Amino acid sequence: MLKAEKITKKFKRQTVLLDACIEVNSEIKALIGINGSGKSTFLKIIAGIVNPDQGSIMLNGADICHLPPEKRNLGYVPQHPALFRHLSIRENVLYGMRNGKGTIEAFERIVEMLDLKDVLDKKPRELSGGYKSRASLARALVPEPGILLMDEPLNGMDIVLREKLLPVFRSVLKELNIPVLYVTHDPKEAELLADSYAIIDNGTVISVNSSEQAFGMIRSSILKKFE
Amino acid sequence: MSKDLVRIFFLPLFFLLIVFPVLALVFNLDMQGVKATMTDPFFWDSVKNTMITALFAALLAVIVAVGFGYYHLFRRDSLVYKIANLFNDFPIALPHTVAGLALLMAFGRKTCGFLGETGAAFTLAAVVIAMFFVSYSLAARALVSGVDQMEQEVVDVARTLGDTPGQVYFRIVLPVMGEALFSGFVLGFSRSLSEFAAVIMFGGNLPGSTQVLASYVFTKVEVGDLSMAVTASVFCVLLSLLIVFILSFRRMFYAES
Repeated sequence: MLKAEKITKKFKRQTVLLDACIEVNSEIKALIGINGSGKSTFLKIIAGIVNPDQGSIMLNGADICHLPPEKRNLGYVPQHPALFRHLSIRENVLYGMRNGKGTIEAFERIVEMLDLKDVLDKKPRELSGGYKSRASLARALVPEPGILLMDEPLNGMDIVLREKLLPVFRSVLKELNIPVLYVTHDPKEAELLADSYAIIDNGTVISVNSSEQAFGMIRSSILKKFE
Repeated sequence: MSKDLVRIFFLPLFFLLIVFPVLALVFNLDMQGVKATMTDPFFWDSVKNTMITALFAALLAVIVAVGFGYYHLFRRDSLVYKIANLFNDFPIALPHTVAGLALLMAFGRKTCGFLGETGAAFTLAAVVIAMFFVSYSLAARALVSGVDQMEQEVVDVARTLGDTPGQVYFRIVLPVMGEALFSGFVLGFSRSLSEFAAVIMFGGNLPGSTQVLASYVFTKVEVGDLSMAVTASVFCVLLSLLIVFILSFRRMFYAES
């Protein structure tokens, strides 16, 4: 279980996050926010890539706030697949095992689930966008992290491919039973993947009951900006 | 109008001040000078010394630049990085005679006298150090421009997969820095080839011992043997053109792949 409390972050004079809190249990939670709302920064703070000005982060009861990313036991899937281009897909997916994270059994299972068997010996540049995203997800899952953080991993992909991939991702994540925090600006994408929702607006996180409610709140937030 | 201005200023000045001096060297070649230079053992010693010392200086520059690249990527807020970054531009702004004198003060008889009568000065090692001093910043800049093109997300993902910053740098960043490392090496090598002032101050100009091509040309001009100086200079021009060609070819290769 992940519990982030009162996370505040300022970049120079701009407050990006203000007392942002979120709790993720055994579920896929979507954090929905418009561009510039601070959602990616929030995710990076949880991952340990960006340091917060204040706040606490607990993962499975342990305080991870002051740990470097390599010691946090979490998976991170960024906006772009960010595959290591000099390594094959097999080496990419197995990368965590170099540092003692994950097992061959987990690798074989995840490769099977994400249908990556035929592309394991290829280099990232030889793959389509969809396969790159699958490989990026597999690489984050093989170490069997305590939580998976996904930062709009299908951003920039066409809608048809996105709608095809999201159910695949959902079934894999559900089968592995890994808690997920999925950041997106698209409530529809959230609806296809998530069990629960929260929105982030002006650096503050608010829990909502449904993707429709999230959509309504985000729409009024956008309209407010143009008033 | 602006296009005309470019034509009026750029083309004449470029040809007059860059191309014409190089052509002037070539047109002043004479067979006697060529023959005398090609049979001069000190000329070939200077060629050998130049190639060996420039090679070691460039390698050293790349190795130190790799260290700087790490600080650039992971420790940009550190004092070490800030000082190193400041000193990156230092050898460019500093007169190279001053650089040579600084090296002489640091590694010459006064401080490193235990190494020999002259300390480390006036040896091939001193030539390498002098060349490194002036070429390192070019290698560092080449590597840093490569590191800056690296997607930050790739580094972030590697960290979450258990890599420490050092592991990310050596396992993920450097293996894809081939072009930047090669550019840094070639730029460092070419800058080392052309260095004169720092080399002559710290390494000396002993024919057959620490004399390099640049100081060979200087010596020949000084003793009035202009035709041999011209021949050695044209040799330098050809060497430089070869380096520029290698660099362009390599860039083309990377752009295509």
